[in-house]
Amino acid sequence: MALTQSSDGLGAQGARRGTPSSRRLFARFENLRGLALLAPTLVILGVTVVVPFALMSAMSFWSQIGFDYTDDWSVGNYATILSEPLYTTLLLRSLGMAMAATLLTVVLAYPMAYFLAFHVHRNKLVWLIIITLPFWTSYLLRVFAWRVILGYEGVINSGLMELGLIAEPLQALLYSRTAVIITLAHAWAAFALLPIYVSLEKIDKSVLEASADLGEGPVMRFFRVILPLSMPGVIAGTFLMFIPTVGDYVTPALVGGPNAQMIGNLVQLQFGTVNNWPMGAALAITMILAITLVGLIFLGLMWALRRWAR
Amino acid sequence: MNVNKMIRSARQGRLSRRDFTRTLLAAGIVPVMSSPFPRRAMASDNGHATVFTWGGFDVPELYQDYIDTHGDMPDFAIFGAPEDGLTRLRSGFVTDLIHPCMGDIPRWRSTGLFQPIDISRLSNWPDVIPSLYDAPHNLEEAEGGVWQVPFDWGQTSITYRTDLYDLEGEESWDILWDERYAGRIGMLATGDDAWWCAAIKAGVPFDEIHTDDAFEAIAAVLREQRPLVRTYTDDTSSLNQALAAGEMVAAMTWNSSAVELTFEDVPVRFAQPKEGALTWVCGFMLHKDAPSPDRAYDALDALLSVSAGEFLTGDYGYGHANARVLDLFDDEDLAALTLSRDPMDILDAGHRSIPQPPEWSSRMNTLYEQIKAGF
Repeated sequence: MALTQSSDGLGAQGARRGTPSSRRLFARFENLRGLALLAPTLVILGVTVVVPFALMSAMSFWSQIGFDYTDDWSVGNYATILSEPLYTTLLLRSLGMAMAATLLTVVLAYPMAYFLAFHVHRNKLVWLIIITLPFWTSYLLRVFAWRVILGYEGVINSGLMELGLIAEPLQALLYSRTAVIITLAHAWAAFALLPIYVSLEKIDKSVLEASADLGEGPVMRFFRVILPLSMPGVIAGTFLMFIPTVGDYVTPALVGGPNAQMIGNLVQLQFGTVNNWPMGAALAITMILAITLVGLIFLGLMWALRRWAR
Repeated sequence: MNVNKMIRSARQGRLSRRDFTRTLLAAGIVPVMSSPFPRRAMASDNGHATVFTWGGFDVPELYQDYIDTHGDMPDFAIFGAPEDGLTRLRSGFVTDLIHPCMGDIPRWRSTGLFQPIDISRLSNWPDVIPSLYDAPHNLEEAEGGVWQVPFDWGQTSITYRTDLYDLEGEESWDILWDERYAGRIGMLATGDDAWWCAAIKAGVPFDEIHTDDAFEAIAAVLREQRPLVRTYTDDTSSLNQALAAGEMVAAMTWNSSAVELTFEDVPVRFAQPKEGALTWVCGFMLHKDAPSPDRAYDALDALLSVSAGEFLTGDYGYGHANARVLDLFDDEDLAALTLSRDPMDILDAGHRSIPQPPEWSSRMNTLYEQIKAGF
């Protein structure tokens, strides 16, 4: 009620000054103001996300014949994805590997963010820059760096051989799922680190003092105060890291061997050598659905955890 | 990746950007991550022809005549495998020239993206070895020209370490199926090579390769081989480095791997398998909407020149389309490069792939990808 009154008042003012009717409209409807401010973003989103997504969804129901598509609608591609073990295995493997990389990163990034938020008092910016320095290099270079580290004559193998710990280079380092997980965890670490840091930084220090005054030890204080308060950052970091890594194909292509290929590699192949775009579209859509499902399950778990903690 | 070699080459100032991009290309990364459009804009801005080719064919030695006339190299776009290149052309990317192989011609022509090449505009054409282009699908409906100008020819075979691989009996495709060396075998990732080589290994005649029985037989040998394979890649730099380091003892490669490794004093041999190698002829096709057709012809002529051929054969070990190039090498050199004065001696001694329709190609690639992933 109060809102209507005030906007009426504004409208009346606008009319009195003889401003253009568009301004009056904006003044009257707050939603419209918001929409107008959002318009450039919405247009870009529409053109670069919604339209291609709609096209891709449509294409996923077509099928490829030679160099052409038939556009009689069919769910054949999805049926193939569900029935052929190749697709489900690679999808599950990608989800699993992305989860492992995300878990590894969040667990490793949390102490770093904690240190930065609570124990660095001077030159925070410098510390932030130092910690994020690796991310100033290209993603591809970071992946290549891991090839150099894990390779047959790489840093680890040469080091271990120099020390006399192994006689033959370890073959298992490069071209393995572990290599992909390590590389992903390193390459995407900043995406988990920064949201966690921000949420830790935001915690009101007087809350910590209060918990200490009330007799909470450092360990309990962490689990009962700091961790719950930083959960939004952890959840954001988890999503920022998990979603892109599921579909990553650069890393498995360069450091994963035959057993570490992911769903992204398969999607890329459908649009390249295999030349089956509708299938590639269907795979991409399936991947998005799977990520959404896992994300919802994760959010549900977090919600249940919070209720249980209370 | 061979770190010592990388450090060494970095010191010598030749940690090549080319090696790096080649690896990315083979992994299909550059074509996906780079938009075709800036390239196009550039190509039309400076008027240079754009050549869409494999990594390693973008070097000045192959375009000397063009550089002499126009002052600079043509522009390049690079694919990891020609099928990826075709996919990009079909989605609207336009280059002047593109570099597929002989067996691809009918399928590529059926896309309607190419125009016949007018051979009268190529000064080096009279020296081109006729048997390299004389095929019905290359000449029909070409208005007296050709659809594809032949450029390079050679073999897909096995490069193996003579000091690490213990050869029993004759050289054969069994080297790549040798269980004693499980985990130390390298394979090419494109079906265009691997599938046909597996057909030779499985004893499937090429004219039956489209049958269901052939698909089954070839898939069976590739599945049998998979546990032995260290990695599947189209990146010859990765394969070369792995062979040099001893990470792999044998790999499916083209001629150039063995030649480049021999230059580096790595004891390798390019096998001449008793069942016959896979032999091929590749060349250049002209886009129907080529933005700089005149310069494209100049680039083609430069590619066909003797100086380009001398480099292609001497440094990469591939055969060249110009007959006069062969006069520059004696029989011993040619034999060491597994080439011959008459290309047909080599090409017919091995097996040449037979053009297949796009449906076959899709089916083959889908199946090969499944096998590589372990199914």
